[in-house]
Amino acid sequence: MAHNPAIPASPPPALIRWWRRDQNRLEALLMLLLIVFSGVMVYPFVWLFFSSFKTGSDIVRIPVTLFPAEWTLSAYQMVMDPERANLPLAYLNSFMVTAGTVLTVLFTSALGGFVFARLDFPGRKVLFYFILSTTMVPFLTLLIPLYLVMKELHLLNSLWGLWAPSIFSSFGIFLSRQFIYGIPSELYDAAKIDGSGDWGIFRNIILPLTKPLLSVLAIFTFLGTFNAYLWPLVILNDKDKMTLPLVLSRIADRFGALDYQAVMAGSVLISLPPLLVFLIFQRNFVRGIALTGLKG
Amino acid sequence: MAINQTETITPPGGRLVHRASPSQKHGLLWRWRRASPLALIYAACILIFYTTIFLIPFGTAIWLSFQNWDFLTTPKFVGLRNFAKALTDDYFWQALRVSLLFSVVEIALAVSLALLLALALSHVRNKPQRFFLVLYYLPVVTPTVASIYLWRWLYRPTGGTLNALLASLGLPEQPFLASPDQALWCITAMVIWANVGGAAVILLAGMNDVPESLYEAARLDGAGFWQMFLKITMPLIRPVLVYQVVVSVIGTVQMFEPFFLIPGPGFSTRTLSLYTYQLGFQTLNLGYGAAVSLIVFVLLLFATVFQLQRWQVNWEH
Repeated sequence: MAHNPAIPASPPPALIRWWRRDQNRLEALLMLLLIVFSGVMVYPFVWLFFSSFKTGSDIVRIPVTLFPAEWTLSAYQMVMDPERANLPLAYLNSFMVTAGTVLTVLFTSALGGFVFARLDFPGRKVLFYFILSTTMVPFLTLLIPLYLVMKELHLLNSLWGLWAPSIFSSFGIFLSRQFIYGIPSELYDAAKIDGSGDWGIFRNIILPLTKPLLSVLAIFTFLGTFNAYLWPLVILNDKDKMTLPLVLSRIADRFGALDYQAVMAGSVLISLPPLLVFLIFQRNFVRGIALTGLKG
Repeated sequence: MAINQTETITPPGGRLVHRASPSQKHGLLWRWRRASPLALIYAACILIFYTTIFLIPFGTAIWLSFQNWDFLTTPKFVGLRNFAKALTDDYFWQALRVSLLFSVVEIALAVSLALLLALALSHVRNKPQRFFLVLYYLPVVTPTVASIYLWRWLYRPTGGTLNALLASLGLPEQPFLASPDQALWCITAMVIWANVGGAAVILLAGMNDVPESLYEAARLDGAGFWQMFLKITMPLIRPVLVYQVVVSVIGTVQMFEPFFLIPGPGFSTRTLSLYTYQLGFQTLNLGYGAAVSLIVFVLLLFATVFQLQRWQVNWEH
């Protein structure tokens, strides 16, 4: 017997055997990539977090250190000070606009999806494609004229002016229409034959079934509205009406130079709501992206 | 026959308006009479809405582009002069160049990186996969304004953390945002950091839709990792990829905040979006601003249609 595979001379250690499998080596490599990349993604946040507890001179110290020389909340006190930044009021403004927009968009999108997927009226197709085509025009092109329209409507410098252009969302209507197409139309027909009106069918049958979609749409709308900068910048002048991102850029920019203490504490505070919303709903969120067919 | 029958049954509750089959044999009047009141009310509201925030502004933009107007005096009709001006305006061409460079590089790098990450993530078990996804998604949900200021601090030429990092690796310090050659690429890197997680999530969702049986069959045939990626994954996620690229084009061309809040040296980071904003709200050259924004619209339209067209062609193979 020249060769007997059943009795190897001395078996290599488990780790080496594991490494010899192509599949394992590949997976280890991919895992390494993911871990290294996680470091890159988190790096700025780590600096942000620790720097927000530094004193003003500590933040711009050379050489820079990750941990504060002396831990202090002075930056937070400064940005919460009504004289200087009045972040609490900005929180209130941001929340009013965001809550109003999210609720409105959810309602108009769900109803719109139902109308375009299940009801018939003259011009339905034309109207739907018209709504979709509006997304082709960049917001930039509409910015100045929209400002003029808002001026005519006396909505400048008010939170209503922030809310008004997002009452309907073509993206939301489109998603919801696709989703409601997936709900068997027999449900609709059966309710119709039982004598329900369209509103009743929407309220009692369609709306509960679209919940998974609406939760995803809610997160997207929340993030989009809460983080918006350009449109609020254009229409809000009064500092008592400003939303959080605007206030941050107002307190950060001090005569052309950046006030880094305000930047750090302010950034932490304005990032908290969207980060919390995301972390709480992340399970829904990742699943929702697959579900909504957002991917094409 | 059967389809027509269902349409003629009238339930006791009233009209049965049917879903996707607006009947060809009935006239418009018939459809008006049978239309659901709810749908008509909704359609009326949405029509008013889009007239106010889309049709009128869009019409105004087109009208403005033929005028000379500074907000104060009465607008003056100048014909096509605003468009002619754009052709000879060096600032316009420079902004166009910056926009193009930024968009092309950002999209190429962000989409390839996202593809790589999604591929790696698809080989990871459920729990760690979600952990990584959440980490990668954090910059996407962070308010843009906050990330921009944060990165300005990281990029500081003297005493910035990135320069400290370079120094610790024995590399020379860089001016980053202070240099006209580097500023645009620094912004690009920041934008990639902010966007790549979103693209990775969507591409991963596309990859998860590829049936596992295809990979199993390929494995039995002795296909390797890259072979499977190129021959199975890539063709099957092509629609998702195209969607991602189209969305990225629209997003990057319109991107405003980083260029507005990071005053680049000279005009090295002034994109078309910032230029339009400045023409409209800072130099009060509203007619010319509208003309430039319409040019952006047409370019974007061509870019999108071109990409979709290309995808369609490939799809038919």
